[in-house]
Formats: sequence, structure tokens, C-alpha cells
Amino acid sequence: MRRIPQSCIAIALLACSPLQAVEAEINVHIPQIETAQYYRPYVAVWIENAEQEPVKLVALWRKEPDWLKDIRRFWRKLGRSDAALVDAMTGATRSPGQYRLHWQGDDDQGQALPKGKYTLYVEASREQGGRSLQKIAFELDGKPYQLRATALEELGELVFTIK
Amino acid sequence: MKKLLLAAIFTLSSQSVLAHTLWVMPSHFVLSGEDTWISVDVSAANMTFVADKGVSPDSLRIIFPDGQSQPFAQQYQGKRKSQADHQLVADGTYLIENGGAPRYFTLFEVNGERKRIMADKKAAMSELPKHATKITTSRSQSKALAVVTVNAPNRKAITPKGEGFEVNFVTHPADYVAEDAIQWQLLIEGKPAAGVKVELSREGELYRNNAARVTLESDTEGKLQFTPEHAGRYLLEASYQANTVTALADNERASLTLTFEVGVP
Repeated sequence: MRRIPQSCIAIALLACSPLQAVEAEINVHIPQIETAQYYRPYVAVWIENAEQEPVKLVALWRKEPDWLKDIRRFWRKLGRSDAALVDAMTGATRSPGQYRLHWQGDDDQGQALPKGKYTLYVEASREQGGRSLQKIAFELDGKPYQLRATALEELGELVFTIK
Repeated sequence: MKKLLLAAIFTLSSQSVLAHTLWVMPSHFVLSGEDTWISVDVSAANMTFVADKGVSPDSLRIIFPDGQSQPFAQQYQGKRKSQADHQLVADGTYLIENGGAPRYFTLFEVNGERKRIMADKKAAMSELPKHATKITTSRSQSKALAVVTVNAPNRKAITPKGEGFEVNFVTHPADYVAEDAIQWQLLIEGKPAAGVKVELSREGELYRNNAARVTLESDTEGKLQFTPEHAGRYLLEASYQANTVTALADNERASLTLTFEVGVP
């Protein structure tokens, strides 16, 4: 499992993975879309490791289970296989606006993730609308930085900050 | 006379359908939620997924994620395509299969004319004209497949049984994504089927000047690999012939089609 090895703590914290106390902010933007029939998008925010395995579901905004499959990558990577996690993380759909999400560098079990390469995914799918997928590859290395992904049809600019 | 005419019609219709490619097309390949439904179209045509002939849905079956096979709850045979519906009450992967028992036909020549009767080797003995020559009997079996997954996928319904001509789904059909390699293995009686030619086509041929079909051949392990460039619905067609002599036939032909969906990355 992803426990911090005792020896690591004893010898030198800095040299060891996993990292301590990551403070990350994810700014998700749901754009205003002018259309006759506007339904709020279904949105999933999650993190995959270097093997493209999901390690952390940060947010899931949705309503009916029937349309969960339309958040395509989310559904394939984690939604279809982990009903308990989906239920636990489900939040209401959001209206257009900026949303600030916080992540402490932990996985779905609350354990700190080891140093390494990860990818942040934000996927939005709107009924009678489109589907957009943003991704930001990043490295958990203890350093602060800010990364951005350009705006798409269903998602405004994505900003990922590690403080 | 009536009997003869009927036989002639049967031969004609079965020939014209045989010349076409038979497929099944489910309304969905991936579903979420509880207690959902699937509608399946069945048709045969030359152009992929452009319905032409409504084939009888009588031999359409759905294998549930626990391996149980069921006929469809309701069905309708149309002129251009047939349709069947079924309720999917369990989570997991379902196999939709349209295929029946093997059929036998015997080809022969009388006075230099090629003829055919729908009969196996034994039955043909009593039905053939006295001066028939160049007699060969073929065993023919075909099936059309599609795989549908509700919530988490599993493999029970799609695991090869080791009987006849089959596909081993190396990559699970719920995981087919554009730009990612898909692997299949072709099997005959559970053994790798090497050197089988396969044709892959993508929907929308009617709206492209170049159909851009892809031909593959199974390797020594019976394996096929294909990396789809585009998301969408595809048809895999595979067939093989072998001089397998049995009490009922001199050779066999088996073919299958697989309708599959490739998702967006």
C-alpha cells in the first residue's frame, strides 16, 4: 500500500517519497454558453499516474447515472468500476462560473502520493452540447509552480497551481 | 411445381443474403445506470451499416454477464432491417450473437450445369439426380457478434468456448479507444487460427469517396492487431475455409462479423 516507510521518516524526509503536505489548487471554469436549451454539464476532475491509472477523484458533478457514461474517459478509467467512489464523490451539477478545487496530493484512500509524474484531467459533457477533455501533465516534486490548459468549448481555461 | 418454386426461392434468397455481410448493431455499446434497455438492429448489406435486407431475428441471442443465454424479449422483422429489444438487468458485459446451427449445401453438375441443393452429404445421396457429377458438400456457419457493457465490464459472456470459429477478445471491447491498439485472437475449435484474412470497415462509407477498408491477416498465434485512427463504429469480417472432411461434408466455411465501437481518447 501507499504507506510512508518508517525508515524514510527516520533518515531524511526530503529525500523520500511520498511527499508531505502538497497544497494544490485547481481552477475549473464552466463557460457561459448561449443556447436555446442549456443543461448544466456533467464534470469530472481526477488525477492519473504515469501508468494512466486513476489515483484520485477530485470532483464529480452530475445528476442521472444514465448519462455518466458520457463523461467518456472518466467513465472508462474509473466511473464504471468504482460505484462506491462515484457515490461518495458525487456533487450537484454547477452553473457557469469559476470553481476553485483543493487537493492535498493524496490518493482516493487519503494516502500521500509518491513523487513522480501525474496527469490532471478535467472532462465535461453537456446534454445537447459537446464534450471537452483538458489535461495537464505535472510532476510531484515538492516544487511550487503553475500550469495551464487552454479553453475548450465546454471548459474555460484550466489553471493548476502547486503552492 | 409449387414445391420446386419454393425451393428455387429459398435458394435465391439464401444466396442473395449470403452474398451480403450480416451484422448486428446495438443501440449502445457502453451503458451506465441500473435496469436499462438495449435495442439491436440486424441487417445484411454490401455497405457497412447501411441497412439493406432485414434478416430474421429468430436466432438472435443475448448472453448475460453470468454466461446465461436468452432469446430477445421482443423482436420485429423489417424489410431493410430487423430489430430486437432486451432489458439489461445485470451489471457487466453482454454478448449479442446472431447465428444458428451450421447449414449444409451440396454443389453438383448435371449435363454441364452447376446446381446446388441445401443438403448434407447423407441427405444429398437420396436427393441428387442420377447423373450428377463433381459433387461437393460444404458445411457453412456464420454468426454476427457485438459486445455491450453495463457499468463495470467482465469477461464471462465473451470467453471463447473452444467450439467452431471464435474471437478471443484480448483487449476488452469496453476499452477500445482511438489511437490505442486493439488485439483479437481468432480461434478454430479453441486453437489459434493462423493466416485468416480479416477486413475492417468503419461506418459512414456512404459519405466518403474512399471507404478506407483495412485488411489484416492473423499471425501464427491467430492474433490480429489494429490501431483505429478514428472513434466510431467498425465492422470486422473474418472467414475461413478448410477441407475438413466429415461424414456430412467435404469442406467447411465459417465466417463471423463483429460490430464494435471505438471511443474518443
